Amino acid sequence: MNCVEFRRQLAIDPQMTSADFVQHRAECPRCAEAHARALAFEGDLARALNVAAPAQLAEAILLAQTTAERRRRVNLRRASMFAVAAALVLGIGVVGMRAEAKPLSVQAVEHLESEQEVLALTAPIAAAEVAATFAKRGVVLKQVPDGISFVAPCPVGASKHRSVHLVMPTTDGPLTVIYVADQKVSAAADFERDGLRGRSLPLGNGTLILLAKSPAEFDRVEALWRAAISG
Amino acid sequence: MSPVSSKQRQFDALVRGYSGDLFRYAYWLCGEEALAQDLVQESFLRAWRSLDSLRETAAAKAWLITILRREHARLYERKTPQFVDVDEVEVADMREALTPEGSGEDALIRAAMLKLDVKYREPLLMQVLGGFSCEEIARELNISSAAVMTQLFRARQKLKAMLGGEPIEAQVYELR
Repeated sequence: MNCVEFRRQLAIDPQMTSADFVQHRAECPRCAEAHARALAFEGDLARALNVAAPAQLAEAILLAQTTAERRRRVNLRRASMFAVAAALVLGIGVVGMRAEAKPLSVQAVEHLESEQEVLALTAPIAAAEVAATFAKRGVVLKQVPDGISFVAPCPVGASKHRSVHLVMPTTDGPLTVIYVADQKVSAAADFERDGLRGRSLPLGNGTLILLAKSPAEFDRVEALWRAAISG
Repeated sequence: MSPVSSKQRQFDALVRGYSGDLFRYAYWLCGEEALAQDLVQESFLRAWRSLDSLRETAAAKAWLITILRREHARLYERKTPQFVDVDEVEVADMREALTPEGSGEDALIRAAMLKLDVKYREPLLMQVLGGFSCEEIARELNISSAAVMTQLFRARQKLKAMLGGEPIEAQVYELR
């Protein structure tokens, strides 16, 4: 290493400790003096650059970090709760929509399947009780058909339609009558589902649904209820 | 002990160990104490979020400085830095600008340092404050080692020139 190379290296890194750098310094008094001046300047430079950091800097940073972290966790928890709530609402909505999407006839059959035991009732009940049950649904009967063994103001389907559930024993077995007071189908239709025969028809402001093993008595019973509701 | 508390302990150690060094680096990058403090705080918050990417504790300081430099670059994407080329600076002007409490050799060096163009100042900071080698600086600045050496050489030459140092020796230092 010659003097020019040494001085160049000195300006790049005065702390250099490579063998040829150290050797040249030992052999060249002028470069050794330059090295001493350079180290003194480096000391001055390092001291000047060593500005004091603000007091409590580390504490301020840690406070900011822990505060931000805590806020993040709270937000995350809130977001999770919101997501769960949204999923529940969505799930309920979808289930509700699916249930609501079922025709009234299907909802009536499902309701009957959940109350099979009332089909065994045969003793007639008072006309006043039948009239009172319809009145609870906002329907005033013009007359009460004979031969009713069961009546109850049942909610039908997932939407809990305001309905009256009745049983009328016939020679062909029990016939279920469900009057849905708050929804009116557009047209009459006969159907078959789960081994049951059925008929739904618009009547008054609602829908009359008849369910039985056999449709033999449907026309007769339909006529009775037309007379009772429409007059 | 939960992973979160372990992570927190690691972060605490980083903050207590390096916040002073990072502040000094930030201060000499931007020249403003309040801004430097904000930069350091933002850098540490970013460091917290990506602490899992720190694999070696020996590399912690370099890792933090990398984050700080990026944070500084983000800041200056929206703001043009007002650095003055060293050629336009005269030491006499700097001496006049110094306040009584800021006088002395340290104050002169500090004033000269802030006048140094950032392309010379930054490698010098990394070497003097960070203790990085030319190769490490080259990697951090994404330039060649030869370019780093040239910038370090010129940084010292310009500093000494501003401080009324050794012009003859500076000529001897000049690359040929």
